[in-house]
Amino acid sequence: MKTGIRKVRMLGILLGLLCLVSSTFAQTAVKGRVTDESNNQSLPGVTVTIKGTTLGTVTDADGNYSVNVRSANDLLVFSFIGYGIKEIKVGTQSRIDISLVSESQNIEGIVVMGYSSKKRTEISSAVSVLSSDKLKGTTTGNVANMLQGKVAGVQVVSANGSPGSEAEIRIRGIASLSAPKGPLVVVDGIVGGNYDPNDIETLTVLKDAGATGMYGSQANGGVIIITTKKGKTDKPQFEFKSSVGYRIADQGHLKMMSGSQLYDAQKELYRDYNSGKIDILKFYNERPLELDSRNFNWVDEMFKPGLVQNYYLSARSRTDKFSYYLGATYFNEDGTFKNTGYQKANVRANTTYKFSDRVSIDNNINISVNKGTSYDYMDMYYSYLSLPWDNPYDANGKPLYIDGTSTTWWSRDKINPVHTVANSDHNYKGMDINYDFIFNLKITDWLSFSSSNRASLNSARTHDFVSPLAAGTYHGKGYINETNNMGYGGITTNLLKFNYTVNNHSFSGLAGYEGQGSYYETLMAEGKGLPEGFSVPNVASSEYKIGGLNNRSNMESFISQFNYNYRETYFLTGSYRIDATSAFPPANRIAHFPSVAASWLASNEQFLKGSKVDMLKFRLSYGITGMQDIGAYQYLGLFSLNTQYNSAAAATPLQLPSPNLTWEKTHQLNFGIDLSLFKRVSLNIDLYNNVTKDLLILVAQPLSVGFENKWDNVGEVTNKGLEITLSTINIKTTDFEWSTDFTYGMNNNKLSGIGSPIYRTVNGIAQIYRDNGELYMFVLPVWKGVDPQTGAPLWEKLEKDANGNITNRSLTSDYAQATPQEVHSALPKFQGGIASNLKYKNFSLNMNFAYTVGNYVYNFSQRMMDNDGHEPYYNLIQWQEGSSRWTQPGDNATHPSIQNSALSTENSSRYLQDGSFFKIRNITLRYELPLNVAKSLGLQGLAISATGENIYTFTNYWGQDPEVTINPTSWQMPGVSDFRYPGNRQYVITVEVKF
Amino acid sequence: MKNKIIALIFVIGTLFAVSSCELDVAPTDAISTASLLNTSDGLLNVTNGSYALLKDNISFGGFVDQNNNYLRQYFQMSDFASDDIVCAQVTEDPLFYSFTLTHSPDQANSRFFWYISYKIISSTNTVLELTTNTTNDDAATKQLVGENYFLRAFSHFNLLRFYAKPYSIDPNAPGIILRESTSESASKARSSVKDCYNFVISDLKKAASLMGTSRGPQYASKAAAWALLSRVYLYMEDNTSTVAYADSVIGSGNYQLATADAFKSYFPNAATSPETIFLVAFTTSDNKGKFGSIASMIYSDGNSGWGEEFASQSLRNLMAEHTEDVRWNYIDTLSDGNGGVVTKNGIETFYIKKFSGQGGDPNLSSPVMLRLAEMYLNRAEANAKAGNDKAALDDVDLIRTNRGLENALYSGELPAGSTALDVVLKERRLELAFEGHRALDVYRNKRIMNRSYWGYHLPGLVATDIDLTKTPSGYDKMLIDYTNPRIIYYIPVDEILANPLCKQND
Repeated sequence: MKTGIRKVRMLGILLGLLCLVSSTFAQTAVKGRVTDESNNQSLPGVTVTIKGTTLGTVTDADGNYSVNVRSANDLLVFSFIGYGIKEIKVGTQSRIDISLVSESQNIEGIVVMGYSSKKRTEISSAVSVLSSDKLKGTTTGNVANMLQGKVAGVQVVSANGSPGSEAEIRIRGIASLSAPKGPLVVVDGIVGGNYDPNDIETLTVLKDAGATGMYGSQANGGVIIITTKKGKTDKPQFEFKSSVGYRIADQGHLKMMSGSQLYDAQKELYRDYNSGKIDILKFYNERPLELDSRNFNWVDEMFKPGLVQNYYLSARSRTDKFSYYLGATYFNEDGTFKNTGYQKANVRANTTYKFSDRVSIDNNINISVNKGTSYDYMDMYYSYLSLPWDNPYDANGKPLYIDGTSTTWWSRDKINPVHTVANSDHNYKGMDINYDFIFNLKITDWLSFSSSNRASLNSARTHDFVSPLAAGTYHGKGYINETNNMGYGGITTNLLKFNYTVNNHSFSGLAGYEGQGSYYETLMAEGKGLPEGFSVPNVASSEYKIGGLNNRSNMESFISQFNYNYRETYFLTGSYRIDATSAFPPANRIAHFPSVAASWLASNEQFLKGSKVDMLKFRLSYGITGMQDIGAYQYLGLFSLNTQYNSAAAATPLQLPSPNLTWEKTHQLNFGIDLSLFKRVSLNIDLYNNVTKDLLILVAQPLSVGFENKWDNVGEVTNKGLEITLSTINIKTTDFEWSTDFTYGMNNNKLSGIGSPIYRTVNGIAQIYRDNGELYMFVLPVWKGVDPQTGAPLWEKLEKDANGNITNRSLTSDYAQATPQEVHSALPKFQGGIASNLKYKNFSLNMNFAYTVGNYVYNFSQRMMDNDGHEPYYNLIQWQEGSSRWTQPGDNATHPSIQNSALSTENSSRYLQDGSFFKIRNITLRYELPLNVAKSLGLQGLAISATGENIYTFTNYWGQDPEVTINPTSWQMPGVSDFRYPGNRQYVITVEVKF
Repeated sequence: MKNKIIALIFVIGTLFAVSSCELDVAPTDAISTASLLNTSDGLLNVTNGSYALLKDNISFGGFVDQNNNYLRQYFQMSDFASDDIVCAQVTEDPLFYSFTLTHSPDQANSRFFWYISYKIISSTNTVLELTTNTTNDDAATKQLVGENYFLRAFSHFNLLRFYAKPYSIDPNAPGIILRESTSESASKARSSVKDCYNFVISDLKKAASLMGTSRGPQYASKAAAWALLSRVYLYMEDNTSTVAYADSVIGSGNYQLATADAFKSYFPNAATSPETIFLVAFTTSDNKGKFGSIASMIYSDGNSGWGEEFASQSLRNLMAEHTEDVRWNYIDTLSDGNGGVVTKNGIETFYIKKFSGQGGDPNLSSPVMLRLAEMYLNRAEANAKAGNDKAALDDVDLIRTNRGLENALYSGELPAGSTALDVVLKERRLELAFEGHRALDVYRNKRIMNRSYWGYHLPGLVATDIDLTKTPSGYDKMLIDYTNPRIIYYIPVDEILANPLCKQND
């Protein structure tokens, strides 16, 4: 942003210099006041110059200025960082009041594109910009949650509500199959980096190759450009923000049975299959009547409301030579699950020093520290499955010790998760330091050099401790595991940039070199035999283990871009990048990434000038991006040395060689239209066709070769989509304004060139990659309900001829006979959001909704919680309305007879459910103190707001939130929901003070 | 000023000259397959690796499941399908399907076993290929190459028992996929049972001829190859060869049966006993604890394990004739303190302790894969089948003498109504209980498995149905004939999907 602003200002000054100074003229004073158009508050520190001269002034604290002009033809130029420039001809006026439009709302605004900045009208690519205004409603600690439903074509999935967790972001569907990453994040012009959401000035989402081509091999998942705040005004500005509230676990439709519900349900276990009668005497013998009234709510015990706090303090200012921004954030969230939480402190210092008009340097430092307490999966598992007939506390309110010898404990595994949580600790700490050094040199008026460099260092430590007092495998011994990770790296980007205008022709561009490398080290120590009350490795007395390894990766790149425009109406951009990486075998290390984009700003044509069309633009782009992010050494055949046999070194097969492994590349075509009308309606439409070739896939091998899979380049995936954003100001009066934003993103994908189908199986759940198939398509035996005659489960069995055509469909109750078939995909058909912003005087009410349609979720945990009697000592989930259990011939039931339910809970489409949802994402009511009142209190502004987040989800999915991971990690299948940390419903009060 | 700027540019230029990146990077905890044998200890390390795979929990399906290791699945898939162990709890764990015989192609334990077996085979193939051209023929190298032949045979042979019909039932039935080299096509059909046995025999003979310098019972040896050959020939019902290879081991003089007294502590200390021919060494750092040890399903001290499967009533009834039998030492009754036995879901708790007690740990043992007692029993069975009853009974008596039954010997007399084979198989059951033999011993001899006792292998059983004073009746699957297709497992689904040439079991 900074470079961009300066460039435009310089351009203005340059243009001014070109103008001839008119002859002498009696000087007259022009006065006025400069305000922010959005809120009519005065803007101090605005630069007011007479175009073509160095004469000028700066507005005072109340936004007032006075300047001496020499002629009625003089142009006054009003410029202010973060706001669009305005030029006004003096004419006969002696008072000129003017309002500036902040860039976030300004259609003419400057958009930070990473290596360069452009005027919005100049851009020929699909780009979405969110200013801090649009982001500030949310009070979560990470930026991904802020994006949900706000940018067309961006899918945000909060699959996990654990403290400190981040949501997954996918732009325009899934381009890479096995290693799909989220978008590349670029902070302040340099790839990678860390930031706190409070420090964000603007966030730009680059969606097509016209924009992302510049990032070459790192850009297959799109690019998010974060620009942090800078000093804006001569007068120091201070801001304090405090958000405090609480959150509760959002269990969705997942409700476990109460004691008496379970008591009733278990009578079914005692039904005689042949007679159909329940043997009630045996039941009472086995399940004493007193259980009926025992009702301990485990979920309520393990999940409690948690406190959320976020405090932010910043100061910023600038002088001619120097500008600075200092921001500090402290974030503290209690987890909803027992004994979990997360804290983070972030400090950022951004400074710019101008040695001269030609030379400036930026020093940006971001330091972030965090710590938190995590949880053990099994503790969460038992929180749902423990029986309501068991109470974890003794008469004194102390957690009960339960083990395999306990005779009074009903739940299956004889373990009390409350006791385990109280006698264990899973915490972590982290630190991350980024230092950016940016050097800018203006060589001539049209040529400049910039060197952007970042050094980063991060470390993380996890501590896993189980006391010898805890029941279970570590009882009497205890367990300690400490793992340290350290990473460091650097990146340097050195660019020559030019910007040249002659007559109606403008040329600009850049070329340069980028090098980056990272190094990673890990060290682990583990031991048992701990004395009671101690929890460091030093006190461990037995079963020591150590581990540790180092990794590194490097990349070098050549970057170039060329821009041309004619009359600021016809635009052409081309970029070319060459990347060389350590991830591939020597012959395949170098790849080329060209892109080209063109656009026509029709609204700049004479025939539209002065019409109701504020802006009309047609864009077309084509380019190539790539993906190499599969980890180092994947092309080598390897034997691992990380084990031992009989205390001697041992080498075991780790991976098959893949000597021809190469880049995955996406060929992206995008067509877009931007239209704004009546200063009220703005519409963006983008159509794209992205073909990813040479997909990097872990191709499943027959297990009999001794390896599950190997990396290979196989086939293509085509993503086609449509994105629409419609923003309208529906009502606008002096006191009242109502605006709405609609976003819609539709994405279809198709695989081709795969050859023989590839199956991917995790936990026995399979998905298929095949020609003309969809991504993340589940292949499961198809559940056909319950046989009304026998009460047995039914699946579909297909018989096929030699050509694979189906010759017969029948039903079977033998699971082994059931035919796995393609059922549904885990990816949505379309998704988007709705935002409504109401403003009345100083009140505003913002509402955000997000929706996703057509994705299917595999409810894996339901296998346990709805288990047809296979696990009589696990609690059950409350049934969906309309569910029934088969008890006698003729019953049309949803659930099989408990006495005839062999393998009924094996993986099948029985557990695959529609995951479509409509979510009330965020509602914020905000009151801003009138400026004069604030000023009388000695403040520049005061606002208070109440926010509710993730308020309700409308869905038919019968489990926790249907937002589940779409990230195919090696241990997780996209679209599969296991027991997981539930999402959060959050209510927060925020106070913002500016002074 | 100008000079300063020039200096600055110079500094920056230096910076990125220095950063100019190295694009050749190598892992720090792995070695490339091509250079595997380039170090002096390479062959040793990779050979040790194959043994490590018998005990390690390695990543499968993307993560390391604490309960997935070769031996745990080996013993569970063998003995949970027998009449020696009873299931006291209905469970979602796929180990349950061995009890109920409701197998499925996607059961995780079987999928892992198949995978890890072939990983061992792949490792041995890599070694055998890399050493083909080696000029090193010193004894140490030959020993290690021989061990690889042994491990390749051992892995193939154990796969055969789970996924192919017993040789004695149908030698022409589909066997398993023979993996003879790493370069052959990924898609490959199953060879016949007969061809598989011949392959295993050929490897074992090579192994026996190459190995000469035993590295201890933790590693394969010439005697281990002979011992396994004896077992292979027994399964093939080649009585002469069974006896010959059993004789080779017995006659080597390197092994002797544990005495009755020593046997009481044999299993926790198998590595130091002269009875052990081959075991898989578990050190304290290999303790798999509650989630992964072999012991954890069949024994618990209250915390150490799940303790959900017990010694069956069928086995205990057989042992009840002789309370002085020291083999009772490996069955641990959980007493309720009032003279009764604690029940779990109606089933009496008789824990099994053959996989516990190493270093005093309830979850630690070094499981014995081959021991001398089996050689006597192999020889006895072959002799019984060959009509040499006297020789068979003498071997049985030798075992009984060393198990505290010196007062209950057959002394060459067959009990009324019993054949010599009956006697041998009964002794084999008592001696080798829980060691992975029982189910196959029943089926390969074309006998019927009788599981008419209370346990959750009975379909639809609920605790209140159990009346320990009676024998259960009317339940499915109490008698399992050797013709039942579920005496073996399905080929794992992953193989069927990715290898179109591989035919599924019925």
